[in-house]
Amino acid sequence: MSGLRITQRSLNVSVISNLQANLSNMQRLQEQLSSGKQLSKPSDSPQGTVSSLLFRSSLSRADQMTRNADDGGGWLSTADTTLTSGLDLINRARSLAAQGINGSMTTADRAALAAEIDQLRSQALDLANTTYLDRPVFAGTAPGLRAYDPTTGLYVGDTGAVTRSVAPNVSVQVNVTGPQAFGTTVANGGTGDLFEVLASLSANLNSSNLAGIAADQANLDSVFVNMSNTLSTVGAKTNQIETMKAKVEAQKVDTQNSLSIVEDIDLPATIVKLQLQQTAYQAALSATTKVIQPSLVDFLR
Amino acid sequence: MGDFAGLQLALSSLYAQRKAIDVTGQNIANVNTDGYSRQRVHMTADAGPVMPARFSIWTGAGGGVRSDTIERIRDQFLQLRGFQEHAAGQNLDQIRNGFTQLEAAVNEPSDTAIGAQLSSFWAAWDDVANRPSDLAARSQLVQRAQTLVSSFSQTDAAMATQQSQGIVQISAIIQDTNSIAARVAQLNQTIQSAVQTGLTPNDLMDQRDNLINMLSENVGVTVRPGQFQGTVDVYVDGTAIVRGSTAQTLTSTTNPNPPNNQQILWTTGTNVPVNVGGKVGGLLTTINSSIPTYRTMLSNVANQLMTQTNAVHATGFDLQGNAGVPFFVSTPTGVAVNPAIAADLTLVAASGSATGTLDGSVAQQLALLGQSNAANPTADDNYRQMVTQLGVDSQSAMRRADIQATVVKQVDGAMESDAGVNLDEEMTNLVQFQQAYSAASKYLSVVDQTLDALLNIVR
Repeated sequence: MSGLRITQRSLNVSVISNLQANLSNMQRLQEQLSSGKQLSKPSDSPQGTVSSLLFRSSLSRADQMTRNADDGGGWLSTADTTLTSGLDLINRARSLAAQGINGSMTTADRAALAAEIDQLRSQALDLANTTYLDRPVFAGTAPGLRAYDPTTGLYVGDTGAVTRSVAPNVSVQVNVTGPQAFGTTVANGGTGDLFEVLASLSANLNSSNLAGIAADQANLDSVFVNMSNTLSTVGAKTNQIETMKAKVEAQKVDTQNSLSIVEDIDLPATIVKLQLQQTAYQAALSATTKVIQPSLVDFLR
Repeated sequence: MGDFAGLQLALSSLYAQRKAIDVTGQNIANVNTDGYSRQRVHMTADAGPVMPARFSIWTGAGGGVRSDTIERIRDQFLQLRGFQEHAAGQNLDQIRNGFTQLEAAVNEPSDTAIGAQLSSFWAAWDDVANRPSDLAARSQLVQRAQTLVSSFSQTDAAMATQQSQGIVQISAIIQDTNSIAARVAQLNQTIQSAVQTGLTPNDLMDQRDNLINMLSENVGVTVRPGQFQGTVDVYVDGTAIVRGSTAQTLTSTTNPNPPNNQQILWTTGTNVPVNVGGKVGGLLTTINSSIPTYRTMLSNVANQLMTQTNAVHATGFDLQGNAGVPFFVSTPTGVAVNPAIAADLTLVAASGSATGTLDGSVAQQLALLGQSNAANPTADDNYRQMVTQLGVDSQSAMRRADIQATVVKQVDGAMESDAGVNLDEEMTNLVQFQQAYSAASKYLSVVDQTLDALLNIVR
């Protein structure tokens, strides 16, 4: 006798192991289809797993940076609205000063103007103490609920920078400090901040000191210029943050895509594979019924 | 040739064919029996007396057929190879199972395992940086840190459980091995007696081969012919576990000295560990090598997380303006969030200046620790490295086990092809022997008729 002897048992064993292999392939494909993932454990693809972990970590980082940018944007837009109102307020004060310097005004008229200036000063202090999420936006990093003392008008904040990480290795300062927005006090070598100037204007109006009023007018102008410069800085920073955020979000979409390529199944391909596998399984089954049954026993009588 | 010799000749033929039909029946009966070797009646022609002697000159055709022995058809070399391949197959299967369980313990890639938790831990630092005075952000940070460290300890505990389950499994297999070895020794005794009385205990030999195969799958054995005819000696790592009719026993113990690994010793022997293969060898590899490697890697990642977080945290200042205390502390079971910080959230040192307490620059730096750094790998990098390593190890264990499974299948196939029962063949034999039996009967009746004719002459 030559060649391999085939026995009924070896036939059975090989039939069973082939059917098993078919079934296990079907199960794997079925798992992939139902989970939508081709990567469910590290050994499925060690290389794919490390990419998947990296992509997941950068996605999480990108999410956080978007949140940081939103928060920074909140700070900047609060500062923006406040400073815009501040400019309106200074304009109103300037027009009051212009009225007060008019020689035909009586002392009583000037006292009325002074009262309105006092009113404006307290409004300005309210603006300067504007908060975003319970933090005064002009106080730097100082703790406390206010940037300026509402009675004395003195700056109680610090010069600390509030920064937000908005993109990988990009950190943007999102605050402007009180002196940057409202001007430098005389004590600090400036021509007086908004509150000093308004206080002095009110005093000069009450005492009808025309020269003083004129000087205050000039100082108001420089406070105005300073504030509008600061406002444009705030605008520029808002732009920067928006640009960075858009970039991070675009990257997020790319990363999401890459993650999907690594982890997710190719649906049409997988379905076709499953179909082929089913056909193969059925073919194996029908071949088995033909092979297993007959032996010489069936033909000997 | 004597006149009556023909009757004897016919009888020997009838005996031989009947025996062959019986053996065919035995083969058919055992067509589905595990490890059964097909049998054949060994028939030889009886040539009659060959030594001439006085008044005894042989002129006949022969004395018929001899059919004393029944052969067991099994290739012993193939059988020995089968023992080895089965042992290697079981060994690699166990190693693969070990890695599969480790992968389940690590459970990556996922949205919930350590990888994702590290990311959300770092992100929480940015939230603290955004709102340094907000206790809710700090509380979220501490919560996430606690979840992270408990994930580390859970993963480690899963690996430790796998280790202790492996030890239990080994003891069970060793017990089984000892009882199988005793049965092999007993069979050796029985077979030896049978062989000495001239019998051919084929079915007992099949049984013994099956048992030795089980031994080999358990601990990996080599087999040599024994001292007495019919017996075999079975060796584990060069020492006989079965010699003739006596068996040795193995025992599984934990090494009292570092590295406190699990080892197999002879019950009555020195403390030199036995180098076993098979299932037990695979389990030993898993619990003495694979699992400790990954437990160490995991605890290194946790420790690195602690040192790198604490180093930056120490440069910061808490809400009271005091320098940062350690964020993580080391405990006997691993790494934990400093209980002082968990109790007083203001101790989280987010600020970079002792006076500007609402600064978040140190928290921002901490958030950046989550970024990948090729030159100086972070805890995240090392964790990813560990997961990749596990994937590669598991994949290669899987491939080796798959290849070995194919080899085992081939060897089993070759053995089955040699020793298995083919029904077609048996049916053909049955017909053949039946015909031969009928022919022998016919011959007997012819001899009878000739004798009858002879005897009738003298009437």
